[in-house]
Amino acid sequence: MKVEARQYGDRKVFTVSAFNRGVASWLTRLPTVWVEGEVTELRRQERWQTVFFTLKDPGDGASLPVSMPRGQFDALRLELGNGEQVHVFGRPELFEARGDLRFRALSIERFGVGDHLAALERLKNQLAAEGLFAAERKRRLPKFPRRVGLVTGNDAAAKRDVLTAITTRFPPARVVVAETYVQGPRAAPALVTAIEDLCEIADLDVIVLARGGGSFEDLLPFSDERLVRAVASCRVPIVSAVGHEQDTPLTDLAADVRASTPSLAARLVVPNSDELRERLAQTRSRLQRAPLHLVERKRARLDGAYGRLRALSPRGTLDRGYAIVRTDGRIVRGSAELETGSRVDVELGEGGFGATVEETR
Amino acid sequence: MTFEEAARELEQIVQQLESGQADLDSAIKLWERGEELHRICLEKLDSAQGKIEALAPRQPE
Repeated sequence: MKVEARQYGDRKVFTVSAFNRGVASWLTRLPTVWVEGEVTELRRQERWQTVFFTLKDPGDGASLPVSMPRGQFDALRLELGNGEQVHVFGRPELFEARGDLRFRALSIERFGVGDHLAALERLKNQLAAEGLFAAERKRRLPKFPRRVGLVTGNDAAAKRDVLTAITTRFPPARVVVAETYVQGPRAAPALVTAIEDLCEIADLDVIVLARGGGSFEDLLPFSDERLVRAVASCRVPIVSAVGHEQDTPLTDLAADVRASTPSLAARLVVPNSDELRERLAQTRSRLQRAPLHLVERKRARLDGAYGRLRALSPRGTLDRGYAIVRTDGRIVRGSAELETGSRVDVELGEGGFGATVEETR
Repeated sequence: MTFEEAARELEQIVQQLESGQADLDSAIKLWERGEELHRICLEKLDSAQGKIEALAPRQPE
């Protein structure tokens, strides 16, 4: 569209009206898009041809004036009120009389908690169908992690709780803390980045995702598809300690273990130092007792063998009361080998004696 | 050798000794190795310095 301008020497000058018309015309080239926000300052009157409201970004309060012909607005039968979350389909236009930019709505859809839930449910089903939450994907946590990664917001509570729980339980623990956004539109990509950065540490063996409780919207980044996929494909096991027991963001389902409290998270990722010492002391005393038992057992077996040996030897027979009689160094087996007056040696179980034969029978 | 490896080997040695299968000479060797492993474990527990580091923040685009 050609906009008329006056020429003052070499300066080209537009009237306000022509300028606005030019900008308005240029704006028509922009595509129609969906914009999400919260309805505020809704103004609808029977005698007006147009309905106005301001769409507000709950994240940072940025606002956008919106208009829609009253007939179209009423036809949607939305009964819209202030404070509601909506998706508005439309395009920007300039209100030429005032030079005001506004968003010309072509359609409006309510997008409340229910819609968020429905969208989450769809995502959950899709990711579940891909097997991201499958039990056989869950990895075992290392018993003695060389280094623990902690992804958390810079808000004191959640971070402090987990760190305290870890260092109390296992003072030698080595923890790398990645502080990042944990709510708002920047949170999901920032959380993914934090996980990726931690994974580059070679001796990092496990990651804890920690965030205190919050509203449904606050916890939405923890159901973001990008984060859920990053958690599922992380090179080390991940413990999710996000929100409270009743919150179940999708990262919980993708994580290897869910911890409902910071102390439970600590219990999962580090061993208990006192228990380790106790168990070590027990093993040590078993180690010291074991060789003694071994020697005792071997001695008992030796004694048994010696006992049997003795029982089988002539010595055993003598011990039972028998005697050996010798004459001229020969063992006497019958009285015919002797005569009265022969000299004999008698060997007993203990000791022996010499004797002279008085009679033979 | 990590604490975990030392603790596991120590446990195996104790079980082997307790089973009574070993002959006396190898029992003495096992016992000596066990004592050494116990010392290694204790050192690991005592000397490991707990450390909390911050990951250098990277600005998300």
